[in-house]
Amino acid sequence: MIMNMNDNYLWDRTGEPDAEVQQLEDLLGSLRYQPRTLQIPPTMSVRRRRAFIPLAIAAAIALLMIGAGLWVRFANSNRRPVLQAERGPDPTAPARTLPPSNDQPTSSTTPEPRENFSAPRKANRGVMAPKSRRPIQPAEPVLTAEELAQKEQVIVALRLVSVKLNLAQRKAQGLPQINSIRNHKIG
Amino acid sequence: MSDETDFKGVSMIEAEATAEMLLMTGTFRSPQTIEEPIEQTIVRAVLEGERDRFGRLYEMYAPLVHGVLLARVPRDEVDDLVQDIFLHALRKLHTLRNPMAFGPWIAMIARNRAMDFHRASRDMVEVEENTAVAKPANRTAHEVLDFIRQLPDTYRETLVLRFVEGMTGPEIAVRTGLTPASVRVNLHRGMKLLREKMGVSAA
Repeated sequence: MIMNMNDNYLWDRTGEPDAEVQQLEDLLGSLRYQPRTLQIPPTMSVRRRRAFIPLAIAAAIALLMIGAGLWVRFANSNRRPVLQAERGPDPTAPARTLPPSNDQPTSSTTPEPRENFSAPRKANRGVMAPKSRRPIQPAEPVLTAEELAQKEQVIVALRLVSVKLNLAQRKAQGLPQINSIRNHKIG
Repeated sequence: MSDETDFKGVSMIEAEATAEMLLMTGTFRSPQTIEEPIEQTIVRAVLEGERDRFGRLYEMYAPLVHGVLLARVPRDEVDDLVQDIFLHALRKLHTLRNPMAFGPWIAMIARNRAMDFHRASRDMVEVEENTAVAKPANRTAHEVLDFIRQLPDTYRETLVLRFVEGMTGPEIAVRTGLTPASVRVNLHRGMKLLREKMGVSAA
């Protein structure tokens, strides 16, 4: 009960003084801290606060954002040509006389002259699909009428040579000759 | 000694002088609004190279460290430990994240240093415990301090700061970082335990 009556004096020295508390203050006050000067060795150095840590964190975040932006940009620039390459050749495109090549331009609606192939370097680089994707099938060669006639002549000549070689082989082996024209009436 | 620096001649800014006057006259009633910015200013100045400004922090908080140590270590060791603790605090000041928490920070350093002291020498305080039992009611300051040292940590530190260093409850709360309610409870329960212990011992 005494404590409650002198509560404020023990707390902040207000209110009615408590005789016992005052006695303790007087008694123990003799042990109070006696001011002394702080002796600091002159060789002792104080380390400064590391202000570069927040700056380093901010710089790292900025670099990450720049890197992400560049990555997104390059990813988008590579995506468009790859999609065109996956479509394959346009079947409605007119026949072209150029031989099949990987350097074909992506736009096949209008035939381009061969000398223009070296100019759009970026487009050629974009045509190359990644290895993981489905390989692009080369387009069938488209021949002109003259080239087709020459092709037929070569095929006929090869057939004649083949027949003659077969006859010569049978004659050398003593086998009966196949009368391939027996059903034909000569003369 | 020629290789030591004296901080008595350090010039103070006006705010520091005002706070010191309020502390010395006992009219200090709102420490959060006056003392905290001063600590922040001093800590920043010391970290920027004005090492002499640390003397002001030493003058402000030496009684706190002295009280914390006096509740735990022998009296003849306290003064030297106070110096060591402030030198250690000066070396590690760059690790203090919140300059306004300098008081709780250095009080914790003092408590840890007291624990280290007892690890190194375990036969210091316990010996004095039995010597005070048979004394008459008219006790000396050292005997009463020995009774306080037998109390739990939270109570004895608060009582030493209150009775030895002469701080009020609000001042103890600000300097140690405890809440005023905790300090008030510690004062009351510590005082009750001290009365019981002194009465039992005297009987």
